[in-house]
Amino acid sequence: MFFDSLFGYEAKRKRLLKKAPEGALRDFLSVPFPDKKQFFVDTPILSVDFETTGLHAINDKLLSVGFVDLHANQIPLKSSYHEIIRSKGRLKADNVTIHQITDSQKDQGESLQLVVEQLLKALTGKVMLVHFARIEREFLQQACLELYGMAPTFPMIDTLMVAKKRLDHRDVAYDPSTLRLSALRNKYQLPEHYAHNALNDAIATAELLMAQVSNMREPMQVRLADLLL
Amino acid sequence: MDTALSEICAFIQAIPPFDLLDDNALESVVKEINICYLRNQENLPPDEFAAQTLFILRKGALSYYSAEDELLGMYGEGDICSIYCHEKNTMNIRVRTHEDTLLYAISYPVLQDILQDFPDVIAFFDNSAEQRLQKKMASVNEEAIISSSLINTSITAFYHTPVASIDYKSTIQAAAIKMTDLGYSCLVVLNGDESVGIVTDKDIRRRCVAQGLAISQPITDIITDNITTIDISSNAYDALMIMTSKHIHHLPVTNQGRLEGMVTVTDLMNHEGQNAANLTSIIHKANTVADLVEISKMLPKLQIRMAKLGTTADHVGKSISAITMAFTIRLIEMAEKLLGPAPVPYAWLAAGSQARQEQFAHSDQDNALIISDEMQPEHDKWFFDLATFVSDGLAACGFIYCPGDIMATNSKWRQPQKVWCGYFDKWVNTPSPKALLNASVFFDLSTVHGDTSLLASVRQEMLEKTKRSTLFIAHLSKNALNLRPPLGFFRDFVLVQDGENKKVLDLKHNGIAPIVDLARIYALAEGVAVTSTIERLQQVAGTRSLTKASAANLIDAYEFLAMLRMQHQSKRMQNNKKPNNFLSPKALSKLEREHLKDAFKVIKTMQDARQSAY
Repeated sequence: MFFDSLFGYEAKRKRLLKKAPEGALRDFLSVPFPDKKQFFVDTPILSVDFETTGLHAINDKLLSVGFVDLHANQIPLKSSYHEIIRSKGRLKADNVTIHQITDSQKDQGESLQLVVEQLLKALTGKVMLVHFARIEREFLQQACLELYGMAPTFPMIDTLMVAKKRLDHRDVAYDPSTLRLSALRNKYQLPEHYAHNALNDAIATAELLMAQVSNMREPMQVRLADLLL
Repeated sequence: MDTALSEICAFIQAIPPFDLLDDNALESVVKEINICYLRNQENLPPDEFAAQTLFILRKGALSYYSAEDELLGMYGEGDICSIYCHEKNTMNIRVRTHEDTLLYAISYPVLQDILQDFPDVIAFFDNSAEQRLQKKMASVNEEAIISSSLINTSITAFYHTPVASIDYKSTIQAAAIKMTDLGYSCLVVLNGDESVGIVTDKDIRRRCVAQGLAISQPITDIITDNITTIDISSNAYDALMIMTSKHIHHLPVTNQGRLEGMVTVTDLMNHEGQNAANLTSIIHKANTVADLVEISKMLPKLQIRMAKLGTTADHVGKSISAITMAFTIRLIEMAEKLLGPAPVPYAWLAAGSQARQEQFAHSDQDNALIISDEMQPEHDKWFFDLATFVSDGLAACGFIYCPGDIMATNSKWRQPQKVWCGYFDKWVNTPSPKALLNASVFFDLSTVHGDTSLLASVRQEMLEKTKRSTLFIAHLSKNALNLRPPLGFFRDFVLVQDGENKKVLDLKHNGIAPIVDLARIYALAEGVAVTSTIERLQQVAGTRSLTKASAANLIDAYEFLAMLRMQHQSKRMQNNKKPNNFLSPKALSKLEREHLKDAFKVIKTMQDARQSAY
């Protein structure tokens, strides 16, 4: 308890709020994050996915952002959001084949600032859900550094880590490729999905978390703390 | 649309009735989806959903149970669950997941609101199985009327162009030579560019040869001037009407007044060349069994063609039955020529599908002989020879011998009137389920050839008894209930009562036969003499056996199943495969499956009513 109040994400949020400049980031930080002890079903979650030109948050660029709500065991598609980000420089051909985002689409995209603002607004008071947290965390923190001069922290659930925890618990060797989004979906008999589109992956990740939680011993008793990174 | 949602859009759009939506409406619907996930053996609807929600199965399976916990159906990917669309679940059906299941949920009031401009889509969820089936059959029948007639065919599909013509100064002989050379029966007579008349074979015969007119006379002496023409924009039906009303066989076709071509009665006949009436008249002219065998080869083609034209199964069944009848009559005539006249009056009877006029190509032959009571033992030889000649002839023409030996060659079914009366007495008065199972085919009898009064009086007596014998009707009902329609489909399987999956649907035994049986029971209980299933249902409609609404529902279900069977068999015959009744669910569209499920529901309802009545 004491540890949480000093180093927990709520404590960090309050400290950062004092330093945050006026605007989107401050608005985001001014609303408390969900309590760790609350049940998963009661927790507002935003499933997020980024498509990027590479794995390095400083050298590589954000290409597109997709997100959708997950709340009360439902994914309302009305909340779905997908935007391509306008940036300078040409895309590498091999990237285009993965994301299907072409230069001309990119040139017509929205500014990084607007997309980050919309993301922060949607994420306010929620827990961020991703598959493989490093990309989304580092790219969002880097974008905030560039835009607001500071990198916020936020509570996250990572479906990859949820799966990994279960496997580690069993203490047997496993193939890391079984932790891929499509492999995990397959394991829970979720339908094939069209990968490498940010919104599509965000929906796919939210569906996966519902399946993962449903397969835990007492799904209705699962608390946020059981899932957080 | 976003690529992500476009995937969901495509999934939804493949599911009837959402296939009727345009892209905008579809997108609005998809935006209203809430995705939810249920584990195996959870009840629907999930707690989070209030009443009035439509569910679409994205992945997994649902089972439906009655209040008595009887399995009613199973649903898989792409199926819709509309049980909870309305305030009250009036059917008292319980739905449970059968696997871990991913569902798309949409608030039904919101859906109704979005789809105001698509009443057909909303009606799909609001209507009952009966209403949906009725709508489907109404549109099928409409299409059949339009497409099966000549009305739909332009005259340009028939006419010959350029027209064979001759100058008006030519002689009659020159015209005759030209017609002979060209092989035409008609020439247009021209003065420059202008047509002044028409000359036909018939004109040369009647106005020249018969009158003793010199063949060196100018053609204008025998032509028909004042010719009737038809505009090129007309349809084939108009052309036929003009030719019939004016008793002419040639009709010049004009394009804005200019002569463009010629259409003849023969052309129209050739178009409808394989039609039933035409085939019947060819059969009538055949002189040997070998000729008949040749003609019989056209039968599958005729059926394929009729099916393609969108003709209803009822119409095809009647046509094929009529042709079988023509074959039989011609064979009987040939036999009588060979064997000499019949010693005593008799009638050749058709039983089963032919008697009901529901026969398709490649059916087996079910027949019998009813002979006058004046028959003497020595007469049987003649009737046996007749039966052998005719059934061998029919077999040569592709109607295989009846596997159950229900044929006039079997002495049991070649009997005088009084013996037939005795048979029916026994079946009706002291019924046993097993005996009735084999005898049901004899409650569908019709006279093909001979003295119709022989069967008519037996039937009259029989119907008087069946009307009164509740035990007989009860036994017949019990037998009929042995053939049950499946519950529906689950993925690419047919789901049957015990929850088992089958790979193919037996259209005959699990769909058509149960309705045929029901119609027979109603007809016998009400003393109705007709044998065709649809006519039976029409005639018993509104009696104590069957309400008008139920009769209409059964007719729709029957027509739909028969149509599917006809299309399935035509497809097989086109691929040179033997027609059968086994349909793989994989070959069915989602919409066809929906209509089939509706048809099964109608049959089940009526069977259940029958069961509780006895």
